[in-house]
Amino acid sequence: MPKLIDFKMIFTNIPLLLQYLPITLGIVILSMIVGLAFALVIALVRLNKIPVLTQFFTLLVSFVRGTPILVQLYLSYYGVPIALKYWNYYNHTNYNINNIPAFIFVFVAFAVNEAAYNSENIRGALLSVDRGEIEAAQSLGMTGGQILRRITIPEALVVALPTLGNQFISLIKGTSLAFVAGVIEMTAEGQIIAGRSFRYFEVYLSLAIIYWGLTVITEIIIRLVEKRINKFRTVQKVVKLNDALSASSEVTPIKRPVQVLETEIK
Amino acid sequence: MIEIKHLAKTFSNHEIFSDINLTVNTGEILAIIGPSGSGKSTLLRCLNLLEQPDQGEVTIGDSHFTAPHISKKQAVKIRQESTMVFQQFNLFRQKTAWQNVAENLVTVKKIAKTAAKERALVELDKVGLSEYANFYPGQLSGGQKQRVAIARSLATDSKILLLDEPTSALDSELVGEVLTTLKSVVEEHPDYTVILVSHELEFVKEVATQVIFFEDGQIVESGQPKDVLSHPQETQTQRFLSRFTQQTIAQ
Repeated sequence: MPKLIDFKMIFTNIPLLLQYLPITLGIVILSMIVGLAFALVIALVRLNKIPVLTQFFTLLVSFVRGTPILVQLYLSYYGVPIALKYWNYYNHTNYNINNIPAFIFVFVAFAVNEAAYNSENIRGALLSVDRGEIEAAQSLGMTGGQILRRITIPEALVVALPTLGNQFISLIKGTSLAFVAGVIEMTAEGQIIAGRSFRYFEVYLSLAIIYWGLTVITEIIIRLVEKRINKFRTVQKVVKLNDALSASSEVTPIKRPVQVLETEIK
Repeated sequence: MIEIKHLAKTFSNHEIFSDINLTVNTGEILAIIGPSGSGKSTLLRCLNLLEQPDQGEVTIGDSHFTAPHISKKQAVKIRQESTMVFQQFNLFRQKTAWQNVAENLVTVKKIAKTAAKERALVELDKVGLSEYANFYPGQLSGGQKQRVAIARSLATDSKILLLDEPTSALDSELVGEVLTTLKSVVEEHPDYTVILVSHELEFVKEVATQVIFFEDGQIVESGQPKDVLSHPQETQTQRFLSRFTQQTIAQ
């Protein structure tokens, strides 16, 4: 009986495939960052009901959520060159489509996809932030931007993180479709190796192990972040004033001010 | 000093008040009493622009605004003139007690974090909570939360204090500690201008220099606490106060 499965190859493939891990992670991290920023913009526009933009983004979110990512990748792959040609025509420029790396098509598609999926999640999380805390921040004289950065976003993150984490994991796996737009990442390289050796099963098994490993690592990281941002739910210890002062800075402990709180109101 | 002229506020067809005129001089403690829903809190919130007044002119501290045309930038400046203590405390739940107190210092006044922390601990000590500096609001009692909120207000160094029913959300056994704290604050800072919305009539009698009775968006009666509270002239005030005495006796 011939050797049906080349077990050794499953493991020797892994280092070869991992050479393309930076490409995969590059797509994931870039589209996640840009996607999240865009998602926040969409969420804020929809929350503040800015005319025209709200309707446009609502349509965009509905469209992206209603079409497969594979189709979106093809749309980006064929759409970006057309857009560029129009740009060239109307602005009398002469950009060459061949100078645009395939990476861009994939990045655009994934970033828009992430933005659409996360915007609803972020919108819900922003709505869940206690109105009273925002008012307190306003009454302290903080500007809109400061409130968003220091109060609203940190609080919304606690609510949004589990969903964002899931979305991040599905993005990692989703990048395996990037080959349709001509980017050689891990899955594309796997297909190349398989095409050479005709050991399809082994290669895909190697890929499965790598993606699985990435997902497990991501889950661990998300759990750590979750623990960190939920610190406010953990119990703290009583600290004496002077201990707190000497721990926080180099100043000499202050003399305790006269207790003025002992008078009781009748 | 606070000067309010012809202030008006309407919530989608429901008129809260249409013409409020009021002056509170520096160092005065004005108490606003009146039934729930009479517009007392809304009036206070208009001074801090948490509600946008529809009409009127307000001078608060060194700032002046004419409603309704107030830019965002102007609003931020006006809010810095005063500081507010809320009924529901409104502490930042993800920040510890000292971080809550230091937030204004770090974000608005741009003070270095170590200096801000030091100041925060001093303010917390003044309200008797320095030992709880590292506690998150979730682990504090209602009374402690409100005292942290008072410390947060004091740290802003605003000389205008707006107290919006500071003890209404508290269990009755916790009211005392907050009132004691507030009393020591106003005694320590005779230069502060204070507007207090409260149902604690005994406390009002003790600390206020001026009282107004507010009903249906109107200032029905105003004067010295001992006059308004002990010898009210208007029937509406008498009715309101007698309900209170009955309640106290019933308790």
